[in-house]
Amino acid sequence: MNFEKVVFGFFIVLALTLNFGFFVGDIDNPDHHHATELGAALAVSLIATIIKFGDRSQMGAVLLATSLVADLQLIIAAFVWGWAANVSETGMTSEILASIVSLSGGALLANLVSVTLLLAETISIRR
Amino acid sequence: MNDIVWLTMRRMRTPLIIMILVYSFSVFGMLAIPGQDEAGNPVQVGFLDATYFVAIMATTIGFGEIPNTFTAAQRLYTYAILFPNVIAWLYSIGTIISLFVDPQFRAVLALSRFSRNVRRIRGDYYIVCGFGYTGRMIVAGLLKRGISAAIIEREEKIIQSMKLSEDFAHLPAIVGSVTDQNLLDMAGLNEEIRNCIGVIAITNKDHVNLTIAITSKLLRPDLPVMARAETRRVVHNMLSFGTDYPVDPYTIFAERFYLALKSPAKYLVQDWLISVPGTRLREEMRPPEGRWIVAGVGRFGSRMTATLDKAGVECTVIDVHPDRVKERPGSVLGRGTEAGTLIEAGVKDAVGIIAGTGDDVDNLSIIMTALELNPELFVIARQESPRNDDLFDASQADLVARRSLIVARRILAVATTPLLPVFNEHLVHQDESFARTVENRLAEVLDGYSPGLWTIDITGERAESVRAARQEGVRIRLEHLLVNSRTLTPERLPCVCLMLERGSAREFLPEPGQELLKGDRLLFAGRGVARREMIFSLTEPAALVSLATGRPQPRGILMRKLARKRAN
Repeated sequence: MNFEKVVFGFFIVLALTLNFGFFVGDIDNPDHHHATELGAALAVSLIATIIKFGDRSQMGAVLLATSLVADLQLIIAAFVWGWAANVSETGMTSEILASIVSLSGGALLANLVSVTLLLAETISIRR
Repeated sequence: MNDIVWLTMRRMRTPLIIMILVYSFSVFGMLAIPGQDEAGNPVQVGFLDATYFVAIMATTIGFGEIPNTFTAAQRLYTYAILFPNVIAWLYSIGTIISLFVDPQFRAVLALSRFSRNVRRIRGDYYIVCGFGYTGRMIVAGLLKRGISAAIIEREEKIIQSMKLSEDFAHLPAIVGSVTDQNLLDMAGLNEEIRNCIGVIAITNKDHVNLTIAITSKLLRPDLPVMARAETRRVVHNMLSFGTDYPVDPYTIFAERFYLALKSPAKYLVQDWLISVPGTRLREEMRPPEGRWIVAGVGRFGSRMTATLDKAGVECTVIDVHPDRVKERPGSVLGRGTEAGTLIEAGVKDAVGIIAGTGDDVDNLSIIMTALELNPELFVIARQESPRNDDLFDASQADLVARRSLIVARRILAVATTPLLPVFNEHLVHQDESFARTVENRLAEVLDGYSPGLWTIDITGERAESVRAARQEGVRIRLEHLLVNSRTLTPERLPCVCLMLERGSAREFLPEPGQELLKGDRLLFAGRGVARREMIFSLTEPAALVSLATGRPQPRGILMRKLARKRAN
């Protein structure tokens, strides 16, 4: 067992699960989506991205790309949330929340691709 | 460029992960602990405030407790997270800084800068491997003729001093192994780089030059290679795989010495053509006839004795190696620096001495001792290190064989005027009268200073005038090119056409009546002003036609058409 691989897998899967946790629920119901969860998903996603740095293989490049997509979506979602809660005059509305959740849905898809690739690579390694 | 990004990312991995972990942990803690507003009511800290506070705390900017004054619980928590955050930041910054001073990182940076600068060169350039004394001279000469260079050199110190000099600082240069295929590829052996016109290998190791020549001949067989080689074995080796110009300074010197012995006129013409333009023309040199002494028959001396033998001149050898002395009956064992051996070798009734040991000080000592014994001697000295220039200048030697100077001159001549070696070859094989003709014609136009050499290719924009002439139905002849088209009465330009190349046919000293065609290649020797006027005549369509027809030619298209109609 390789400890580095454990950390690698841990963060990639954790990014997916946290993202999923934020995403599930009614799309415009504020009780179903918590800000802290989005924050945690973003932080873990960033760490997962950095862990993927510096691998020059084809697989490494695709993994990094999926992570960058997830980061981008989550950062935009967090920014929209911050704007709605602190700057805009209307405050948080159900329309804004719906767009935040759908943005995180996109990130979820990217994370799903990332985990699928990881699984594919793991399965293809023969003992 | 790619390498830099990857290297940075790989190095920054750990510090960035630690920073994000510490940062997000701190933020979540701040969110969990309730705050207090001015009235004393408990309030939840928002995401924006929490992230903002941690950021200004971690970077040690610290604007204060935001948005309200902290409670004791918040202060305690801040205490706990303060130091880990600051340390994580400093660690990241430290890693970035250490990355910039990291030798590996700097090497990657230098490499990418070199590659970028090479691709940015506009116009033709040579790859120059080795930037010592010879390299410097060659590159300076190339620059003077508008040709650039990409430099690879093993010694870092040399590149650093080069980057400080005004003339060379703008040239792409890199420290590295000159035999590195990757570097050579980047410097111009790559198929994509079209404006690299050749490779010059002049490191002071024959084997290294050989490796460079092989590499470039394998990767780009079309590029000409000029390489310094000091032993016959390496020269033959280089020729065997098609190196275009192996340059062996001692053989070159010996061949020139043979010319001086056998045919002073040929020697003189060659000397004029290869010397630096604008220097005083040298007088004819005649080595005296009689017995010579050769002190030291190593790489240089052995070639000189072979030359003397070939010319049928008697010579006595002095050498420290007993087997070299045994090879040649009548030779003297010794160094030649002391009067005893020189007298034994018969210095009193010799006409000339060649000081050819591999040691500069020994050679100087031989010259001085020999001249004391016989002041009438004709002295030839071998100089190894360019640092001793002044000493040899002061030594009263009639001829000095300066290795780096010979190599630099020969390579420059070949690199800037590729037709010159062909002409020189022809000159050597012709009889004395040909050389005399060239000498007289050159002397007529030169005014006592050595000539510049230039090649004119009648192609592209330089063929405009020939094209225009064909439209007008007149023939452009060489004589039209040899006069100034801008003066009122045609004045002769101070130059001589040495040779005309048309396809594979060559004509030496072509007649003025020779017609010029598109695609011709001409070699001229003369003063620089002639070259400028010539190029003007060739690029200005009307100029040569006016000369050929003897009446001024309209320059615009419309006026030309009208004139043609009127003529019909």
